[in-house]
This record gives sequence, C-alpha cells and structure tokens, in this order.
Amino acid sequence: MKNSKVNCKEVMSHICDSLGEDLDSPKCVNIKDHLESCPNCQKYFDSVDSTIKFYKKYNVELNDEGHQRLLSVLGLDDLDEK
Amino acid sequence: MIDTSNNITDEQLIEEAIEGSKLALAKLVKKYEQTVYNFAFKICRNKERAEHTMQETFLSMIKSLNQFSGKSKLSTWLYTIVSNHCLMLARSQKKYDYTTLENEEGLIDDKNVADWKFSPEKIAENSELKKVLDEAIEKLPHEYRVVFMLRDVEGLSTQETGDIVNLSVPAVKSRLHRARAFLRNELNNTLGK
Repeated sequence: MKNSKVNCKEVMSHICDSLGEDLDSPKCVNIKDHLESCPNCQKYFDSVDSTIKFYKKYNVELNDEGHQRLLSVLGLDDLDEK
Repeated sequence: MIDTSNNITDEQLIEEAIEGSKLALAKLVKKYEQTVYNFAFKICRNKERAEHTMQETFLSMIKSLNQFSGKSKLSTWLYTIVSNHCLMLARSQKKYDYTTLENEEGLIDDKNVADWKFSPEKIAENSELKKVLDEAIEKLPHEYRVVFMLRDVEGLSTQETGDIVNLSVPAVKSRLHRARAFLRNELNNTLGK
C-alpha cells in the first residue's frame, strides 16, 4: 500500500492476510490509519481475531480410558504403572 | 505412572526406543498423546475419529521411528501424520469437499459487520457455542481447515505449516486468508448481534 487512500474492503482483506503480523511496516501505514479511524473495520478486525481465539480455546482432553486404550493398542499397557 | 518429568530430550528417547526400550517409547507417547488427540479432534471434529487417528498416528510413529531424521521436530512429524490420516479418512468416508474457495474477493463481506454476542472466553461453558464452531469448521474444505489449525490455532510458523501440508509459503498464506475470511463470515451469521 503506498500513500493512496484505501477502502474498507481492502483493509478487511489485509486483516485476513496479516492478522498477528507487524502492522507497523511502512507499507501498512495507510491500513493502520484507516483501521484506527473506522469503527466498521475495527469490528471486522475484532471478529477475525475472535474467530481465531474461539478455535484456540476450544480444546478436548484425552480421558484415562482413551489413554489406556492407546497404550493397549501400542502394546505398552504393562508400562503405565512404572 | 510413566514419568515424563525429567529432562531427557526427544532425540534421546527416540534413540532408546529404536534400541528396544519400551519405557522410552511409552514416555514419548505420554508426552505427545494430548497434543495429537487434541489436534486430531480439531481436524476431524469427532472424538471417536480423533481417538482412532491418534492410535493410527502413534502406530505409524513406532513403525517408522528409525526413519526419523531429527531434521524436524517430533511434534512437526506427528502433525504431518495426523493431517495425512485425517485427509485419507475424510476421502474414504466420501466427506471430502473439493470446494476451493476460489472467489477470494467474494469472501470479504464488508457489508455485514457486527459486534458478536459471545466472547472467546465463554467457549468452555457453552455447548451451543461449541456446536456453532463445529458447524462452521465442518463447512471449511479440509485443505483450508488443516492450514488454519496448524498456523492460527496451533501457532506453527508459515514455513512449518507449508512443510507439513507440502505447500509453498505464498500458497499457505492464500489458504489462510481464505480460511479466516470464510470462518469469520460463518460465525458472523450466527454470533453477530
């Protein structure tokens, strides 16, 4: 992005490209300026950020039965109490 | 219980396992079983299939442990096996989706922007929200899903993700861009106020 104006769609596309990366690089100055002054694009940014966080926080735990079945399949169940 | 608390490296455990130590093998399994199971679930979206994938992954690991070169991390190698296994499973169950999300421009929905009624912190206590997340990710084609999970959710680098799915860095970035936009739109339809 050079010094030309950017529109919301370009900014949103850039968010999907570069979320989590450095927005301070010179080519991103216009994007950053736009983002700071446009509530709509800020909401879009927040929603993409939340999308990633939702899936990061959605985890499942292997229970004891699953752990035992795994060791049994691998022929390692006799070692579990060691 | 298998003690994994001491400071033996993966390389040492692999070496001992190759020499026949079942205890070393059990320690490797114990160390990575949760990561493998959780990642398999994130791709398969089904606990039974995730457990099956985890078992197959460790069976593959044991079979080819002596081929592990140590050039990449063991975790990266395991991610590769899980990704490939889930892809084969999806194809065999004819759930494989050949959609490619080609229309990148159309994925950016600049007209439909809203605050969301749930925050990510609410996920643990909300089964309805989990269902929404499951339904959205199941619509995302498998190749995009794997890239999104490896890069954004598991936090691997773009290069590591590319190595696992056998794609160039620009191709990983392109898939990631589309996956983020697609999932955001799907969730926005339900979670947008």
